[in-house]
Amino acid sequence: MEQNEYVVEMRGITKVYPNGIAANQSVNFFVRRGEIHALMGENGAGKSTLMKMLFGLEQPTEGEITVNGEKVALTSPTVAISKGIGMVHQHFMLVPSLTVAENIVLGMPPKKGLFIDYKKAVEITEEFAEKYNLHVEPDAKVMDIPVGMKQKVEILKALVRGAKILILDEPTAVLTTQETGELFKELIHLKEQGYTIIFISHKLKEIKQITDRLTIMRAGKSMGVYNTADISEQEISRLMVGRDVVLSVEKDKATPTDVVLKVRDIEYTNEWNKKMLDKISFSVRRGEILGIAGVEGNGQRELVDILFSLGTPDAGSAEVLGKSILCTPQEDIRAMGVSLVPEDRMVFGIAGDGSIEENVISDRFAKKEFNKGPLFDMRAIHAESDKLIEEYNVLCKSSKQQVKMLSGGNIQKVVVAREFSSDPTLIIADQPTRGIDVGATEFIRKKLVELSRDGAAVLLVSADLNEVMELSDSLIVLYGGKIAAYFDDTSELDDEVMGEYMLGIKHQSAEEIGRVCHEG
Amino acid sequence: MFEQLLSMVFSADFLASVVRITAPILFAALGAVIAEKAGVTNIGLEGTMMITALFGILTGYWTQSWIIGVICAMLVGMLLGLMMGFFALKLKTDIILAGIAVNMLGGGGTIFLLYMFTGMRGNTGALVSPNILIPTIHIPGIESIPVLGDILSGHSVLTYVAFLLVWAIWVLLYKTSLGLNIRAVGENANAASSVGVSVLKIKYIAIALSGALAGLGGAFMSMYYSQGWNSGMVAGRGFIALAAQAMGRGEPVGAMLSSLLFGLAQALRTKVSGLQGVSSYLVSLIPYVVTVIGLVLYAMSTMRKVKKHRAASGSED
Amino acid sequence: MKDKRLFVFEIVRGAAAILLALGVATVFIFLCSDEPLTALRYLLIGPLVSARGGFNTSGFYTILAAMIPTIFTGLATCVMFSANQFNLGGEGCVMLGGFVGALCGIYIQMNTGLHAVVCVAIATLICGVVMLIPALLKVKLGASEMVTSLMLNYIVMYVVLHFLNYNFADRSKGSTQTFPFAETARIPALVPGGSKLTWGFVVALIFVVIVALFMYRTRWGYSIRMIGINQSFAKYSGMQVGKTIVLSQVIGGLLSGMGGSIEVLGRFNTFLWKELPGYGWSGITIAILAKNNPVFVPVAAFFIAYLNKGCQLMATYCDVPSEMIDIIQAAIFLFFAAEQFLSGYRQKIVVRNAQADLRKLGDVTTAEGGQA
Repeated sequence: MEQNEYVVEMRGITKVYPNGIAANQSVNFFVRRGEIHALMGENGAGKSTLMKMLFGLEQPTEGEITVNGEKVALTSPTVAISKGIGMVHQHFMLVPSLTVAENIVLGMPPKKGLFIDYKKAVEITEEFAEKYNLHVEPDAKVMDIPVGMKQKVEILKALVRGAKILILDEPTAVLTTQETGELFKELIHLKEQGYTIIFISHKLKEIKQITDRLTIMRAGKSMGVYNTADISEQEISRLMVGRDVVLSVEKDKATPTDVVLKVRDIEYTNEWNKKMLDKISFSVRRGEILGIAGVEGNGQRELVDILFSLGTPDAGSAEVLGKSILCTPQEDIRAMGVSLVPEDRMVFGIAGDGSIEENVISDRFAKKEFNKGPLFDMRAIHAESDKLIEEYNVLCKSSKQQVKMLSGGNIQKVVVAREFSSDPTLIIADQPTRGIDVGATEFIRKKLVELSRDGAAVLLVSADLNEVMELSDSLIVLYGGKIAAYFDDTSELDDEVMGEYMLGIKHQSAEEIGRVCHEG
Repeated sequence: MFEQLLSMVFSADFLASVVRITAPILFAALGAVIAEKAGVTNIGLEGTMMITALFGILTGYWTQSWIIGVICAMLVGMLLGLMMGFFALKLKTDIILAGIAVNMLGGGGTIFLLYMFTGMRGNTGALVSPNILIPTIHIPGIESIPVLGDILSGHSVLTYVAFLLVWAIWVLLYKTSLGLNIRAVGENANAASSVGVSVLKIKYIAIALSGALAGLGGAFMSMYYSQGWNSGMVAGRGFIALAAQAMGRGEPVGAMLSSLLFGLAQALRTKVSGLQGVSSYLVSLIPYVVTVIGLVLYAMSTMRKVKKHRAASGSED
Repeated sequence: MKDKRLFVFEIVRGAAAILLALGVATVFIFLCSDEPLTALRYLLIGPLVSARGGFNTSGFYTILAAMIPTIFTGLATCVMFSANQFNLGGEGCVMLGGFVGALCGIYIQMNTGLHAVVCVAIATLICGVVMLIPALLKVKLGASEMVTSLMLNYIVMYVVLHFLNYNFADRSKGSTQTFPFAETARIPALVPGGSKLTWGFVVALIFVVIVALFMYRTRWGYSIRMIGINQSFAKYSGMQVGKTIVLSQVIGGLLSGMGGSIEVLGRFNTFLWKELPGYGWSGITIAILAKNNPVFVPVAAFFIAYLNKGCQLMATYCDVPSEMIDIIQAAIFLFFAAEQFLSGYRQKIVVRNAQADLRKLGDVTTAEGGQA
C-alpha cells in the first residue's frame, strides 16, 4: 500500500560537498502520486541540492532514493529522465535561436531518413501542447517568445521525454502575475491527468493556492511535511524563517546624524518586463546600519546594482551627500566615498589570478600616495597591503600569494579589507558573510559595527536573518520589489514578525514605511 | 578606362574567373561556419589549407589519382581539426593559440614535409601532370547557352562541389539532428548537455568537418587553381574565410556571398593590374576593407538590438 | 609571485613542453635526414659552437641580431594579451613601421644620431595610431579585434606595397625596392662585422625594462593586467576599462612599429619587404613562452632565435630544411599553452599544499556554511 502511495521517496539523504559544506543532513522527502508538493525554504536551506540529487545532477553522500517503489541510482539527468523525472530549471535550458519545436525535440529528434522530420516535431509539440493545455508557438524562435511561453516550452520538453514527475525550481520567480496565474491553471490541469509536481518556492500565497502538501527545509534539514490546508501562513513562516543560533554582536546604541544616502522612488523593470523595484525610497544616516532584509529575488540585487551604477533604473534618484550616484562611473562613485562589498565576490570582488596585494589596491592604486611620478611607489604599496593583511587578519603566506588560492573566508577578508579601509562615507555590504567560515564572519560583522560607530553610513543587504537582525540598527524588509516594512529599532524585533513581512503576509502602511526617509 | 573596365567586368570570362577564385575561399568559409556554429573559432584554416594542399597533390601524384588526392586532403584536414580539438578541448590550450600553431605548421612545416617526402624545395612543379589535376566538367545543357554557359560551365568538379556544399551545409545545419546538436552546443552548451547531447563529441565533429572542408579548399588550390603546390599559394585565404564567416553572419549563404565578394575583388585585381593608372594593390585591399566595414555594420546592428532590449542602458564598455 | 612549488612545477612543465617539441623534431630529423646525428648536433649546439669546438662569436651575434624585432613584437604581444586582447595586428605594424621608417630615412635630412631616432619615432607613432582602429572598434562596437586586426594586416600590406610600387620605387633596380636611406638614418652597428647586431639590440633591451616597469610598476600596466584577469572586477574597482583596452592595443602597435623600423633601418639599406615579415607571429610565440611577462621576453626570443639559427645550420650543412623551425615552434607553442598539460601533477601539488595549509592553520575551523 505504502509502496504505491509515494512516487518519490528520499530517505536519510545527506550531501556533503567536496569543500566540506553539508548542504543536506539526513533529509527525508516523500512525494505522493498525483499531488502538487511544495518544497519550501530560504535560500541556502538545501532545497536545490535535494532536487539536484533527484534529477541526477548530484549524488547523495548518504541515503537512498526510491522512485515508483524501485530503488534507483540517479547517476545522471539521462537516468533520471528515463525514470520519468523531469526538471524545469530556474534558468531556462533553451537554445534561443532554435524554434520551440526544435528545442523540444533536441537530443531525440524524429527522423525521416537522414533528416529531422521537422513536421513531426511540430506535430509532437502541438499534440502535447494540446493535451496538456500548454499553448506554445512551435515555429517561433525561442528568443522571440515571452518568458511565460519559454517556461511552457521547458515543461513540454520534460513531458515529451516521458516525465511523470515534474520538478519546478522557483517557476514563478521570472513570471508576471498573469503568467503565474496561467501557469497554475496548467499545473492543476497536469495534476488532474495524474502527474506529480514538486514545486520549489518560498512564496506563501502561491503555495497556499495550488499545493496539496509541503515540506519545509531550513539549514539543510527537513522541518517536517504538512498538508497545505492544515498549516497557517504564520506557522509556515515560523518554520521556514528563523534563527538556529543566535549570534550576538556587541554594539552600543546607534546615534545616527545626517543623511548620507538618499534614495527616492527608484523603479526598475527587468529585461523580461518584470517590475523588480517599485518606488523604493529610503535614507541611510551617518552612524547607523540600515539593514535590508528579505527573501532573495525580491529586488535586492537590482537595488545594489543600481546604487553602484552597474545597472540603470527606469526612474528615481539616488544621492550621496547631495550628489547623484546614478549612471556615474564607478571611479567617481568611489571618489564620493562609497564602497561596495559585492554579493558575487568571485565575479566582482577579486581578480583571482592577481596577488593579494594587487587585489587590495584596486580602488586606490591611482592615488598620489601610491605613485612617484609615473611609477608606483612600491614601498607604499607593500606597506599598505601588509597593513591591511595584518589588520584584517588575512591568513596567507605573503602578500604575493594568488587570491584564488585562499579559502573563501580569506578571499572575502581581502575584499572587505579593501572596501572598509578606503575611509568610506557609505558602505554597501551585499551578503557580506555568505558562504564563509565562522571566524571570518564574526570578524567582518564586528568591523561593520565598528565602522558605523566611527561615523560611516552602512547599508547591509542580507538574506541571512540572523545577520540582518543582529547587525542592523534599523531595518527595512523588501517584498516583491517594494518596501514592506520599516523598523527603526531592531532590538525588540521578533523572528516571527519578520517572517510574516518577508513572506508577504503582512505589509505596513505607507506612513510607517515613509519614516525611513528621515524627512521632516 | 572606366568603360574598358566595365566591359571587362561584364564579360563571361571575367565572371567565370570570379567563380573559380571564390571556390577555395568558400570551402574554408564553410569550414569556419560549421566550427563557429559549434562555438569553436577555427583560426587554423589558413594552415590547414596549406598542409592539405600539399598532401592532396602528393597523394595524387603517388597514386596517380586525383580523387584519392582530394580524399586524402580531406582526411588530413580532418586530422588537423581533431588535433586542434584535442589540444583545445582536452589539454585546454586556447583554441586561438591552437589555430595559430596549425598556421605555423602550414607556413614552414609544409616546406619541410615536402622536402622530407620528395626532396623538393618550395614547390612541386615537377610532380604535376594533367591526370592528377582535378578535371573540369562541361555541363551539356548549360554549356550551349550563350553567356551563361561560359560562366557556369567548364569549371572543375570541386568548383561545383563548393557551391553545392553551401546548400549541403545548410541542410546539415538546419535539417539534420547533427546540425541541430551543433547549433545547440554552440549557443547553449548547458541546454544541449541537459538533454543528453555530448558537447565534447559534437565539438570534435564540428572542428573535424571544418578541417575537412578546409582540406577541400587546399586540394582545390594545389590540384586545380595553381596546378601544383608552392609555399605562398594560400596567401591569407584562410583568414579571409574567417572574415567571410563573420561578415556572412555565420550562415552558409551569407558566407558564400561574402566569399563571392572576395572572389570578385581578387578577380578584379588580376584584370586591373594590366590597366594603366590603376593600382592592383589598392584593388587587392578592397575585400579586406569591405570586411572591416561589414563587421562594423554587423556590430552596430547587434549593438542597437541589445540597446533596444535593455530599454535604457547607460553602462558603456 | 606564486607558490614556490607551483613555480617550480611551471618551470618543469615548460621544460617538458620544450623537450617534447625537440623530441618531435628529432623524429622528423631521423625521418628525413641521411645523417641525423650531425643534423641534431647542428640544431642543438651548432649555433654557439664553431666547427672546431670553440665558442662561435659571430654566430652568437647573429642570434642576438635576430632577436631585435622579435623582442619588440614579443613585448607588444605581452601587453595586448595581458589585457586579454587577441590582437594579431603586430605583423602589419612591423611592416608599416619598417616602411615609414625607411621613407623617413630617405626623404628627411638630418644629423647623424638624431635622424635615426626621428625615423623610428615617426614610424612608432603611426603604428600606434593604426592600432586605434581595431581597439576602438572593439571598445565602441564590440567587433572582434582578432578578425579586424587580421584584416588590418592585409590592408597595411597592400597599402605599403602600393606606395612602394607606385610612389617610392627605385626604378633603377631589378626588384622593387626604395631608394637607399641616408647614412644618417641607419642604426649603427654594435659590433663590427656582418652580424647585423646593431644598437637596436640595446634599445630592445631598454624597452624590455621599460615595458616590464610599465606592466608591473605603473598604474596603467596594473590596470591592463587586472582587466585581463577579470574585467568585471576592474570596472567595479573604478578602472577605466574602455580606455585601458584601447591603450593596451595602441602600445602593441607602438612597440611593433618600433621593432619594424629598427629592423629595417638596422639590417638593410633600402626597404624591400614584399610580404608580411612574420615577426608578429614570432612575437606571439615568444609572449606565450614568456607567459606574458616582459622580463622573460629576451629569454624566449633568444631561445627562438637560437633554434632558428640551428635550423638554418641544419639546412646549410645537412639535408634538413630550415623550416624545421616552424614544426618545433608549433609543438612548443601547443604544449606550452596547454593549461591541462601535466595538470594532474599540478592538481596533486595544489591538494598537497592545501593539506599543508590546513595542518598549519589547524586551529582555524573550516566549517564553511554554503549555498545550496
